[in-house]
Amino acid sequence: MLEELSHVLNCVDNTCISCVMQLSVADMECVVQGIIETQYIILTFLQLIMIIWTFSIGTVASEVRLLCDLEQSEPSWSVRHVGGAMRGAGAEQVSVLVRSMVESKTSKNALRLFYALGYKFDHELLRVGFSFNFYRGAQITVTVASINKMLKLHATDEAVPVTLGIQMVEVIAPATSENYTEVATAMSSFCEYLAP
Amino acid sequence: ILHWQPNQGSEMNSQVLEEISQCVETLNGVKEGSCKTSLTFYKPNLQDQSAVMDFPRDFMGISMPELPNKYFLIIRGQRIVLEADSSILVIMEKLQSYKPKAILNFEGELYKLGDFQIRVIKVVPHQTETLKGIMVEIDYLPISSVENSKQIMKEFIDIWKEVVSKKSLAGEFTHAETNYAEYGLGDNYTSQHTAVQYAAAALTQLIQSSQLRS
Repeated sequence: MLEELSHVLNCVDNTCISCVMQLSVADMECVVQGIIETQYIILTFLQLIMIIWTFSIGTVASEVRLLCDLEQSEPSWSVRHVGGAMRGAGAEQVSVLVRSMVESKTSKNALRLFYALGYKFDHELLRVGFSFNFYRGAQITVTVASINKMLKLHATDEAVPVTLGIQMVEVIAPATSENYTEVATAMSSFCEYLAP
Repeated sequence: ILHWQPNQGSEMNSQVLEEISQCVETLNGVKEGSCKTSLTFYKPNLQDQSAVMDFPRDFMGISMPELPNKYFLIIRGQRIVLEADSSILVIMEKLQSYKPKAILNFEGELYKLGDFQIRVIKVVPHQTETLKGIMVEIDYLPISSVENSKQIMKEFIDIWKEVVSKKSLAGEFTHAETNYAEYGLGDNYTSQHTAVQYAAAALTQLIQSSQLRS
């Protein structure tokens, strides 16, 4: 499956592919998630490592994610809120998951701030993998990563895969309430290449 | 940032503000424009109000006109400052865990005096015209090091206070040093340093307002 993905991406015009993961600040995003099995990882693009914390606060049910990109020489932080999936007739007409997503880059004190505000730590995950960004009817980001849990708090060196030998493939594209159907169509078209 | 501390029993009014602005012009300050910084006090969105003491009461957010895409969050008691994209406001709105309680506007006139930049600021609660406080924000542009600029800033402040004292106004400017290291900030002055100063200024303003009321 990973070989097929790499082949598809090589066929796309290389000038459209960027090596950097873009975390979109958008009203909505279209998401397709899947699982593939792989024997090895092709080191073609920039490696990406990310920790995700989920917090919840007791007074009002609100969950927020803190992301720390460890790939850079200086870890960079962002705060992300992911909304629920779109429901109703509109959702039934598209073959992808549509949900709201807002992200804000922050300085390094995000973790301290949310603890101080009373948020409680829920869980953390380490994502290790690669990200591809290109335009094909929509600005699409494909992330292929292993999901790892840390046996001790924040101990990235001691992370172990949640499921050994299995990678998460995530295809994301930013959208607005006006154009999400076009974006969903572009994603569905691309994702046909990923079908076994 | 220097705060105007009125004498006991005297008022804070636009006449004092006008006199202070004239002090800047006495020093050959050239007006360059206006600016407005907004500071929001947040409170936790609680169903059980008795739990309010479990949450920080000095959580503030600051927007600056020169950085429209940024927003600064501060918890003063714990010495935390966070610089974020302005989309953090959308996230806070979605989270609904903290809500705005009060907003203070720092409306300033910007003056240029050689290598110095002075803002004469009136502190006004949002959507009112009531003058609650007067501040002066002084920047020395050539040096971004907090430590290296201390001496020259002190000299300028002494000159400023002397000019103001000649007006025989019923009050004086006070100045409190900020320990930026407590916030994890370095010697190179950044907008996070400014945010920390404004947060301190807002709390000073609150204390001053409550003292005037009593």
